[in-house]
Order: sequence, then structure tokens, then C-alpha cells
Amino acid sequence: MAALTPYTYIQCPCSDLSTLGRTSDPKSPRADEADDDDDDRTFDPRAPRSNYSLYPLEYLLYCEDCHQIRCPRCVSDEIVTYYCPNCLFEVPSSNLKSEGNRCTRSCFQCPICIGPLAVTSVETKPDPSLLAAPDNTAAPHSGPYALTCSYCSWTSTEAGIKFDKPNGIHAQLAKLRNGGLTRLTAKERKERRKDPSHRFAPAAERDHERSALDDKLNLETQFANLKSFYQSQLADPNASDSGLAALSDLGFSSPTSLSRIMSIYTGGSLHDKKAKLRVGAMREALDTDEGLQLADLDESAAIAQLQCEGYDGTASTSQLSDQPPNLGEAHLHGRGRFISDLRPIPYLLRTKRSKRCPVCRHIISKPEAKVQTTRFRIRLVAGSYIPSMAIRPLSLSGGSSGTSASGSAGIPGALLDPLRPAHYLLTFTNPIFESIKVTLGAPAKTPGRFASKVTVLCPEFDIDANTDVWDEALKDPGGGGGGGGELRDRERERERERRRRKGEEGRNMSSNNNQLEVGKIWERGRNWVSIVVEVVPASLRLDHGAGEQPLREDDDVLEIPMFVRIEWEAEAGGDEVGAVIGRDREARERRELAYWCVLGLGRIRV
Amino acid sequence: MSSKRHSILPPVSSSGPKPPVHFSSSITIADSAILTGTHPIAIHGESVVHPRAKLDSLAGRITVGRRCVVHERSTLGAVFGASGRITEAAVTLGDYVTVEVGAAIEAGETVVGEGTVVGVGARVGAGAVVGKYCTLTPHSEIAAGEVIPDFTVVYSNGMRRPDKRGVAELRNKGMARQIDVLRRMIPSNPTKFA
Repeated sequence: MAALTPYTYIQCPCSDLSTLGRTSDPKSPRADEADDDDDDRTFDPRAPRSNYSLYPLEYLLYCEDCHQIRCPRCVSDEIVTYYCPNCLFEVPSSNLKSEGNRCTRSCFQCPICIGPLAVTSVETKPDPSLLAAPDNTAAPHSGPYALTCSYCSWTSTEAGIKFDKPNGIHAQLAKLRNGGLTRLTAKERKERRKDPSHRFAPAAERDHERSALDDKLNLETQFANLKSFYQSQLADPNASDSGLAALSDLGFSSPTSLSRIMSIYTGGSLHDKKAKLRVGAMREALDTDEGLQLADLDESAAIAQLQCEGYDGTASTSQLSDQPPNLGEAHLHGRGRFISDLRPIPYLLRTKRSKRCPVCRHIISKPEAKVQTTRFRIRLVAGSYIPSMAIRPLSLSGGSSGTSASGSAGIPGALLDPLRPAHYLLTFTNPIFESIKVTLGAPAKTPGRFASKVTVLCPEFDIDANTDVWDEALKDPGGGGGGGGELRDRERERERERRRRKGEEGRNMSSNNNQLEVGKIWERGRNWVSIVVEVVPASLRLDHGAGEQPLREDDDVLEIPMFVRIEWEAEAGGDEVGAVIGRDREARERRELAYWCVLGLGRIRV
Repeated sequence: MSSKRHSILPPVSSSGPKPPVHFSSSITIADSAILTGTHPIAIHGESVVHPRAKLDSLAGRITVGRRCVVHERSTLGAVFGASGRITEAAVTLGDYVTVEVGAAIEAGETVVGEGTVVGVGARVGAGAVVGKYCTLTPHSEIAAGEVIPDFTVVYSNGMRRPDKRGVAELRNKGMARQIDVLRRMIPSNPTKFA
């Protein structure tokens, strides 16, 4: 079984509807109301919904105005730029509408292995001059070109696609059908139809031409033919039917045509006869020119190919779904299912997005618009606002105390012994520049089928501010002169020592066999505090009674839900950092932030 | 060459028996290539053996064809599974074979066909027969005893597909060109192994 490294996931409050609009002000009546129903409700990390609301701290953002955590699910995205991941070209959004969401600058992916494709010249005949260029790309005058994958050696010649020029591949590819036949554009097709030499050709030749056209009808041509046919059908009866002069403006967008259609369906009395007449006047497409495409149910060619190439010759569903929409493609019945039908895939464009808080609409993440830079203009990550939690198994050396944790408990990722108390060190690190008060709440028994006992030995503690040494020196009221640096250093050192001793009274250092004491923190640093959590893992032994379900996946993972509440005093909206120091305390306001998190400690030995 | 840059690698170990060699006069073999074993090692015309390539003929004879390139830290004739050791376990490379950096070709009547590229860090198991003009992409593995048909690309954790580019001729020409360059770059010292 895979070892499990301890993890901490934080539940974004957005998944809890009652807390969505909650303000950070503890005096608001809403908070009191919410307390009533919040109190007896424990967050269950195993509930199916929890899968979608738990995030590692690194994934979370923080809205400075709402004072709330924001997860990837509850921010609204705004697209800053579109760019091609291959050539890093920024595509204007106007181009996007006209040319689609794929790169049009000769960036292609291999349809087999999605590697990038390169344009290489196809060797037509062995040319001694090619010796000068071993990779055969540099020879400028050599013949047709193809796209080649340098990883899996796929070339576009396998689909029968060759290019005349080494540049403008995207435009060339759009004109090419599989097998190298060119695709007629709509304009060319129209010209060809009008061409007198084509029209007045002998009937037999025309029939031959037509049957050839039958095969060639693809999605684009079929749609164009059908559209023109129905347009003419709609126009014709209107012109001929003089009795309906009032409705002579019948067309695509006329409201009267809608009523006419409705009368067909509802069998309305007034228009019934006329409508029937009209329906009789409409006919369906009868011809390839009119967009009729007979279903080609003869799949013998495909079967023969399958027999020849076998299963390896067929394209997988993922390969087929990766294929870009191709207007030159055959009708549904003739669509390729073989590897030899796959076309190069133009790279899908990617986006850079800025993120907004859904409540206050403030931007909480905004990348640099330039594609090449990876910097952010604004990025309010939760890691710089809420304390990070690190979990470490704590092995109590000596083992004389009643806990007597087994030797394996000290190794990270080791299995937990059922019904054996294990200790974990939980280290909170304060990222903000104020000292914070942390209150923890955890259920005595974990929710779920197998309830483990949990005891947080010190559920309430303070963490000092994340100030650096220099900040501390500035705040020191006694330190005035520049010469007193060493003195102040020593004083600070002493003060820190004092604080450490104060904090570690319960710990008693190593002198007293690392005895754990309830209500005392384990260790304390400049901006971090470690506390001990004791767990007694549940036994996973099943009572073989009636209705007992077997162990499911991850039933053995010991997860503790924990409610974290942080309180701190912050400047009351004042942005100017320097001005606050001299001011009185009224300018500061109390803030609090509360959220559920899940501590994954490890797996219990079955 | 200036002596300012020293290799941090330990000196090439010259332990083991010195094998009998059959070198063509036109080969390029680096001074620091490692040739050990008891069976003969034959390297045919215009082939290049990079520094620190290891040819181990302890299990059987090693034959390298014409115009092959054996890159650094690659191993020919390596014996991984010591249990099933065959008495006569040869390694044969056809002509125009490239064995990339760190690739390993195990001993045991293993044959690599003409024009095949054994990619970086790839492994060809004992007794495998790789066809002509195959491409083994980096870190792909060929199990022992497997037979790979000609013009096969082994990619993406063992997937196979036929190579339809038809660039075998071109590839050979490229190899010849590359060998031309390598011959100027690598100081050859075949007499050391003779």
C-alpha cells in the first residue's frame, strides 16, 4: 500500500452556503445566528461533497476586501490574453471570432502522440546535395514538404498530405483533404457550376462528373447546397402564389412564416388549406446539387482495411476526439476511423486569466498580459494571509510514559497501529505582520465509519507576528541611538529567551522525558507555534455481523476535521503602513477568520 | 586541450580482463572507452565509440557493424540478470546503428538491425531482436527475447507503430555526415585496446 504523507486541506467557505455572505465583523447579528446551527455541525471530510471543497493552501486565494478565502471554484475568471502554447503568439480576440480557437501559425501537434510537428521536406529522389543538411530541413530548393513528428516519426504523408510551400501550413492544410486532393472553396464550386464548358458537356460526361461529385460531397458542400436549395424553395412559392399578397414578405425572418409553420402543426382552421397547398409546393432535395447525400452504407472498404491493418490501424477514441473539426471531411458515413485518416492538429490556444472575487468584484489575481512573462501584477494568495499548518509525527523518545508510541510512529508515512495512541506535531506558521490568536476545534471522534479518538492538547494559543529582526528593532521604544545596536540585540535576545521559556513551561524541554501536558504548547518560535495532537486510531476490524460492508477504498485513511479560528488586530483600512506606528490603538480593528480544514495523518494498519 | 577543466568523474576503471579486439583501421574509438571481457570485440569500418562507452564481452562476443555510433555511458553486452547467464551470449549491431547516451543492450544473442536508433537511456533486453531502421524513443524498454519488426517506432511506454517516412537512405547519409564530424572531434586511440 502506498505510503501517505501527512497533508492539510482547507475547506473553502464557498461550499457552505450559510457562510458565503458572512462578514468578518464578530458583532454583526448574522454571526450570532449562524453560531446556533454551526455549533453542533461537524464538517465531514468523507462526505461526497467535500471532495469538491477541500484544497491545499497553495491553491487558495484570499480576498483582502471581503477578508475571506477564495478557492478556484468561487472566483470568476476573466480572460486576459489568448496565446498559442507552441509559438507563444498572442492572438487578438477579434481573430478568435473569425479564425477559431486554434493557432493559425503553422503550429501543429502530432495526431498520434501529440508531440509538436516540424515542417520537413519530403525526399522525392535521393539528392546528393542533401548530404549537406543531415536533418534535411535546410535544403531550400527541395520538393514538397510534410509535417513530421520527431518523436514517433509520424508524417503527414501517411494521411496523404503534402505541402507545396514550407510556410503558411495552416492555410494550405485547410485546402487539402486527406489523400492530397484539394478542397474546392464555395466560390470555386460556384464558378465551376457556371462554367459553360462544364454545363454543355455531353450528358454522359456530365453524369460521370455528377457521380464523382456524389462522392466528394462533404460537410461544407452539403451544407452550402442544402442552404441554397431551401432558400430557393422558400422564395419560389411566395412569388408564384399571388393570392397571398399580404404575406408576400414571407422569408426567413418574417413572423408570418412562423405562424404559417405553427398552423401546419396545430392544424389551424383558417390557414389550413393554404398551408397544405404550400407544403405541397415544397419539395425535398433530390440531387447532389441540392444537398442530397445518400447514406453510404457500403463499408466493405473499411472492413477490408481493418482486415489488412488490424486493430493497430484504428484510431483510438482520444485520438479521434483530438481531431479538429474539418469542414473538408466526408459525410458521417464516410468518416475515417483509421490512423491513416488522422490529420495534424493545430494547437489549441490557451488563456491567461485574471480572477475576481465573486462578492466584491475586486481582482485577486491578475497575470502580466505579456505571454512571455510569468509574473503576476496582483496575486493575493491565501498562504500570505492565513497560517500554514505542517504535520509531523512525533516520536516520544524514552517511551517511559504511558503513551509508549511504537517505533514506527516516528517515521513519516508509516502505518498507524489501531488503538495505539499516536502523537502528531502540528506547526502553525503565521504569515501576517500581526500576532494572531488561534483557536482550534476538533471533534472528539472523527466522523465516518471508523471513529478515531482525537485530542488537541492545546486548542488555544497565540502566534507572534511575522516581523523580521529589523522591524522589531524599529518598534523598540527604548532604542534611539544608532550606537545602541548591540545592546538592543542582546536585549532582544534576552526577551526572546524569556518568551521561549514562558511558552515552554509545559514542555519542560528534554529534562522531563518529553512529557505531554494538556493546555501547553510544545514549542514556539518567532512566528510559529507547535502543538501536539493525540490520536487513537480506530480498529478497522470488521464485526462479521449481518450487513457489515467490507472495507472500502481509503477507509483506512485517518482524517481529522478541524475548525480553525484566527483572531487578530489589524489597521482599520489604513493603507499607509508608516503612519500607523505612532497612532493610538483606536485605529485598529479586530478581525477574525474561521474555516474548516482536514488533517490527513496517515493510514491505519488493517 | 587545456588542463584547466578536470573531470569530476572517477578515473576510468581498467579492471577486468582485456578482450581480444578486431578493429577496422577506419574506426574512431576514444581513449576512455571501456572494453572488458574475455570474448572478442569486433568493430567494423568507420564506426565511432564515444568516451566512457562500455563494451563488455564477458558473456559473449560483441560485433559492431559499419558506421555505427556508440554514445557515452552506453553499455553493450551488459548482464543484468545474473541468474540466467548463457555461455555464449553475443551482441550484434548491424550497420548504421546509433546507440544513444546511457542506453543499454544486454548480452544474450541480442541483435540490433541496420539503421536502428536506440534512444537515450533505452534498454534492449537479452535475446531481443530489433529489426532494421527501428526507432526506440528515449527510455523505452524492449523485453528480453522480444522481436521487433523492421521500421518500427517504439514510443510512449512501449507503444508501437510503423515508420512510414521512408527516410532510411537519408538517415544513412546523415549518419555518414555525423561520423565525419565526430571523427574530427574525438581523438581516436585504437592502439590502446589492441
